[in-house]
Amino acid sequence: MIQSAKGADFVVVKNLSKNYGRFRALDNISFTIKQGEIFGYIGPNGAGKTTTMKILVDLIGDFEGEAFIGGYQVGREKTAIHRLLGYLPQNVAFQEWRTINHALITFGKLSGLNEQEVEDRIPKILNLLGLAELRQKKISQLSGGMIQKVGLAQALLHEPKFLVLDEPLGGLDPLSRYQFKEIVLKLKNQGTTILFSSHILSDVQDVADRIGIISHGRIKQIGTLKELKARLQAEKTIEVLLSGGSDKWNEIGSIHNIKGVTEPSPGSLLVHLESDADENEVFDELIQLIAKLKIRVHGIQLLSPSLDQIYLNYVQEEQP
Amino acid sequence: MKASLLFIDELRGFYKSKVMLFLWVGLPVIAILFRFVQSSTAGEAIPFTVISALVVSSLAGTLASVMLAVSIINEKNRHVYDLFLIRPLKRRDLLLAKFFSVYTCIAVASFISVIAGTAMDFVTTGTLSTIVFDEVWQSLSLSLSMVAVSCAAGVLIGTAAPSVMVGAILVIYGGNQISVIPLLPTLLYIEGAVYFTLAVAVALAGALLAVALVLFDRKQF
Repeated sequence: MIQSAKGADFVVVKNLSKNYGRFRALDNISFTIKQGEIFGYIGPNGAGKTTTMKILVDLIGDFEGEAFIGGYQVGREKTAIHRLLGYLPQNVAFQEWRTINHALITFGKLSGLNEQEVEDRIPKILNLLGLAELRQKKISQLSGGMIQKVGLAQALLHEPKFLVLDEPLGGLDPLSRYQFKEIVLKLKNQGTTILFSSHILSDVQDVADRIGIISHGRIKQIGTLKELKARLQAEKTIEVLLSGGSDKWNEIGSIHNIKGVTEPSPGSLLVHLESDADENEVFDELIQLIAKLKIRVHGIQLLSPSLDQIYLNYVQEEQP
Repeated sequence: MKASLLFIDELRGFYKSKVMLFLWVGLPVIAILFRFVQSSTAGEAIPFTVISALVVSSLAGTLASVMLAVSIINEKNRHVYDLFLIRPLKRRDLLLAKFFSVYTCIAVASFISVIAGTAMDFVTTGTLSTIVFDEVWQSLSLSLSMVAVSCAAGVLIGTAAPSVMVGAILVIYGGNQISVIPLLPTLLYIEGAVYFTLAVAVALAGALLAVALVLFDRKQF
């Protein structure tokens, strides 16, 4: 059965483990993805991202634990799950004798579309991806980026309810990456549930509603970017950008709950807060002191950890 | 429906391939060359139709099995099948579509070669005897039996072999030997040996395909 209510868990992964011989690729991972949500899945090479995705799309079996997509159990209700799926693998490949048109007709029909639906949808999807003029071109004549786009076209053609994108932005130029993210966000708004992995953290940050960080086969953290930032006990820092030279900034260090002030580059001050400091209080005091000392500034902001910092923090935790 | 779609697709892929181009055009040409070589030597000339059938069985079987094994190994290693296997179709349909498409191409190439041979015989002798037709029927049956086993061996080796190099070696040294098995009944000189050959070929090809399908079904991509 398909759970169609928006906000309900569309994908449920429970205690999933997978061994390749003696190597434990996945170690008891669990997460859920809500209907219409984009779940960003990040982790270093060999962390288990692709294995998780391949289990969900039924390319890998012999795993421990359970997974459900739209209420159907992975590995058992294969046909029902295949009808819900769209998948773009990390290294998408086609039979090279096919043209783009021929490949899309075949995959469309295999996904259950009829002749008319295939004919109607192919021009639309090719226009959307900027491939319309290449429709009759052979796959063997396409660049890596173009093949990636054809890969996305086959994944979207049948309008799947659950889209699995494994490193979809590799090999794409900046414009194509931007367009790709726009398409992903549009699909989310139409109710498509998306599992999205990428090494390019800024891309995940741009589109993901929630992020899962995996390392050494284990889920390290799951949450929204805001939640992940809040959980990370990183040093709180306020950046002050001076608009003119001033030698009075040393006095900033006298504010309560400030650990120290550094000037990493001329005109840029970093105010380091004590770990238990209330950043809003310090912020207010800092503004008052700057006004009192008549220090001219053109910017002041609280620095929060970036996704890169969060990622490195959790991924480096286990490094020897 | 999906099996037939895959079959027609694979047929479209194979019939335009370079190997098939060789089979479509090259086999009759080679058979003609054999004919001329044979005509220049002493002794009674073998009918052209029979030469055509012999050429088909020896060359086409090898080429078909190598083509199938290499194609499957390449596509498997490049993860071409991923996009098929995540769709609602049976895994076995992929392999069966490949087997039947190549076999169909070879069968058609065989008929073309033999028809060309028959025509050549008619042009050179001005007559076609029923003996020749009997020989053609037997040669074609034996050829296509061997080709069926070769194709099935190609599919099995393609499914199991990890690399093109290993696959090609196994096909050349193993696949060809297996394809000779259906010919064993003809060595017994029994009445209707050709029918035994057909039965053995169907059973052997079926068994090889069954093993290949089981392996493919269990394979992790």
